[in-house]
Amino acid sequence: MNKRVTNKLALGVLWGAAILTVAVLGAVLLYVFVNGIRVISPAFIFTWPHGVNAEGGIWPTIVATVYVTALAMLISTPIAVLAAVYLAEYATQGRIVSTIRFAADSLASVPSIVMGLFGFALFVEAMGMGLSMISAALALSLLMLPIIMRATEEAIRAVPKYMRWGSYGLGATKWQTVSKIVLPAAAPRIVTGVVLSAGRAVGETAVVLYTMGQAVNMPVTPLDSGRPMTVHLYLLAVEGINLPAAFGTALLLIVLILGFNLSARWILRHYRKV
Amino acid sequence: MLALVSATGCSSAQERADRVIVTGSTTILPIAEQAAETFMSQHPSSSVLVSGLGSSAGIEAVSAGTSQMGTSSRDLKDEETSLGLVDAPIAYDGIAVIVSPKNPVENLTTKQLRAIFAGEITNWKTVGGDDRAIDVVNRDEASGTREAFKKIVMGDVGFAPAAAVLPGTGQVRDVVARATGAIGYISIGFVKPRFTGVSVKALRVDGIVASEKTVADNSYPIGRKLHFFTKGAPTGLTKEFIDFVLSDEIQKGVVVDAGFIPIAEGGTR
Amino acid sequence: MTEHAAPPQTGTLQLVSRSTYIKESLLRSLFFLCAFVFVLAVALIFVFVGWKAWPIVADYGLWRFISGSVWSSGTEQFGILPLIAGSFLVTLGALALGTPLAVGTAVFLSDVASPRVRSFVRPAVELLAGVPSVVYGFFGIILLRSIVARFTGTLGFGAFTAWIVLAIMIVPTIAALSEDALRSIPEGIREASYAMGATQWQTIYKVVVPAAKIGIIDAIILGMGRAIGETMAVLMVVGNAPVFPKGVFAPLSTMTSQIVMDMPYAVGLHRTALFAMAAMLFIFSMLLVATVRLSSRLRSRS
Repeated sequence: MNKRVTNKLALGVLWGAAILTVAVLGAVLLYVFVNGIRVISPAFIFTWPHGVNAEGGIWPTIVATVYVTALAMLISTPIAVLAAVYLAEYATQGRIVSTIRFAADSLASVPSIVMGLFGFALFVEAMGMGLSMISAALALSLLMLPIIMRATEEAIRAVPKYMRWGSYGLGATKWQTVSKIVLPAAAPRIVTGVVLSAGRAVGETAVVLYTMGQAVNMPVTPLDSGRPMTVHLYLLAVEGINLPAAFGTALLLIVLILGFNLSARWILRHYRKV
Repeated sequence: MLALVSATGCSSAQERADRVIVTGSTTILPIAEQAAETFMSQHPSSSVLVSGLGSSAGIEAVSAGTSQMGTSSRDLKDEETSLGLVDAPIAYDGIAVIVSPKNPVENLTTKQLRAIFAGEITNWKTVGGDDRAIDVVNRDEASGTREAFKKIVMGDVGFAPAAAVLPGTGQVRDVVARATGAIGYISIGFVKPRFTGVSVKALRVDGIVASEKTVADNSYPIGRKLHFFTKGAPTGLTKEFIDFVLSDEIQKGVVVDAGFIPIAEGGTR
Repeated sequence: MTEHAAPPQTGTLQLVSRSTYIKESLLRSLFFLCAFVFVLAVALIFVFVGWKAWPIVADYGLWRFISGSVWSSGTEQFGILPLIAGSFLVTLGALALGTPLAVGTAVFLSDVASPRVRSFVRPAVELLAGVPSVVYGFFGIILLRSIVARFTGTLGFGAFTAWIVLAIMIVPTIAALSEDALRSIPEGIREASYAMGATQWQTIYKVVVPAAKIGIIDAIILGMGRAIGETMAVLMVVGNAPVFPKGVFAPLSTMTSQIVMDMPYAVGLHRTALFAMAAMLFIFSMLLVATVRLSSRLRSRS
């Protein structure tokens, strides 16, 4: 076998790998889409589940998902952005910075069940907040922090140095430079990071199961509990009785997450000044 | 940030006069949810929150005070009788042993059932069926159905550890329906298909067919009571809800629809 | 590059007012605190989960816990060896299935695909990485399980089904990270190889991939971390029998799935055992992170 034939074969295999990957992943999505689309209707989205097998809609679960994600975004964004500001603008390389980065990477790879149990032990039981939006939001924000921080740090580093020098040259302090020049320039990438982390939060199941519970409820205050879409899907799937509703929930979940991810990309492309 | 957050939370079970939290058995869940929905439409200012994590979880929650009512498809264990729980039985139920419709076996004795679920008999041919391995499907330990099955059929013998453990009645049914060698147990009320096209076959136990009639007259060996437990005598909204579930509207409606037997008609268990 | 707005010592020019200096210092401390939250969080997780898990070591014995082969909460036996074995069996099989596919896709994206094809495939892979695990688990339990059951006559739960579901889940992660590693290899290396008459494939497997080896291994390690920590998808297809499975189509259990199964009703030592497993998972994932960071440091020195 001469090298030309091997080459063609090998390239064919590589094409095959890529096609198989996209095809399999696409098949999963297609399967959910085809089976779920016939269930989706305004009634499904906006009514409550009722009856023996969660017939009806999934509105309270949608609200619970959006509510807890928004709350988690509120909590995690300021902390992560300011942490990134510290690492990118103020810190000097050293053991403390290494430790912080190691902690951030560890936080990003915590298995979700561990985060769920931790959230249960700390927020639900020890701090007495019970199964609630706030317990779940706090646990979720711990997962979102590293994502936002990484994106923000990259964004800040991408801001050209000449912009900073110009600012210092005019006599601005460090904070004035950061707040008025650097952060606004980095904003699109930061927003992208926030939106991507929200997409991750929406998809979490184990974490919210142990911090929010699973009773269907319309949450009003942060101390209310509720059932997010992921948990609803899980329960419908294992119970195995009302599959149409399960497909509908899965479809809406995917649409929500893809929506987040696609907007993140769009923001990045549209607003890239830097 | 942390200080602010810890100041907002105190009690773990928010006691409110207009709200009842009900947790427990997945078998009773359909009745509880349906009754709650009807109840709330008749009493608009009240809210009944129902969830199902298993009978054991329900009993623990009501005795700890995190819920006002625990539903259970099994009787209290010996160590639970001193928890101060008051029992309001709401229905009778039979546990059907199910196999795939393709399985030729029609009847098993209690002794054979015990051996199968303990993992001692591993091939269908031993009990008169095809030469095929027996795939045992068990319920999770939080399940009241499992507890009741264990108490009545297994006694002191343990379940086979290699059996698949599934967390839901519907799942057990679906899995058994699709696997020719499988055997499992679910409440009689779920044997007939509802939302799905697959069907299962309920075996006769000791020669007796599993049906509402045989459970009610006590001839079917695997039967049980479904309980609503409260800590102390039920009061207020909780009592109203229990009375509602015991009323004819629910007993002759939802309870029968779900395949259970109204408490008034039941056997002497 | 950092600059500090610090007031110089006496005798030199004062550049900023005292109040500005204080404000800047306070802000800097605030930012440092925010960064330190990360360390605090990890430490808290360690402390809390570890504290809840401690009784297993004290009352039950760590060795007995890890090496025991019987997990039976009814008889207070908490040997997690079958669960550890289950976790590794499921993970390694998924890696074996998914890695070739993922790395192949990554190589395709970095070296074979035209920019137009890449602009379609790469975002697709990244978007698919965002699909939640519960959806994959749903797919596994509804579709995969019944197919496996029909073709093998078993229940359809077991390592085989778990391998497929997990492999599908980790491919986007490994592929995206591997492709990043491959793209970071300078073009010059490839051009040099072509100049010597090598075909594209020869260049790829003799030059490019070895150069990106560490980055690709990092990607695989992170994929492994994701697989071992995966809970919902595995829980739904594995069958939850806490024993050493007799075959790839027999029900088994992993550490993550066992925790979710038992948590609703676990009390006392049982619950402690679950937290102990969580602690082990956490420590293991931190070890993986440390490995990746160490290898990155080695790579940047070479």
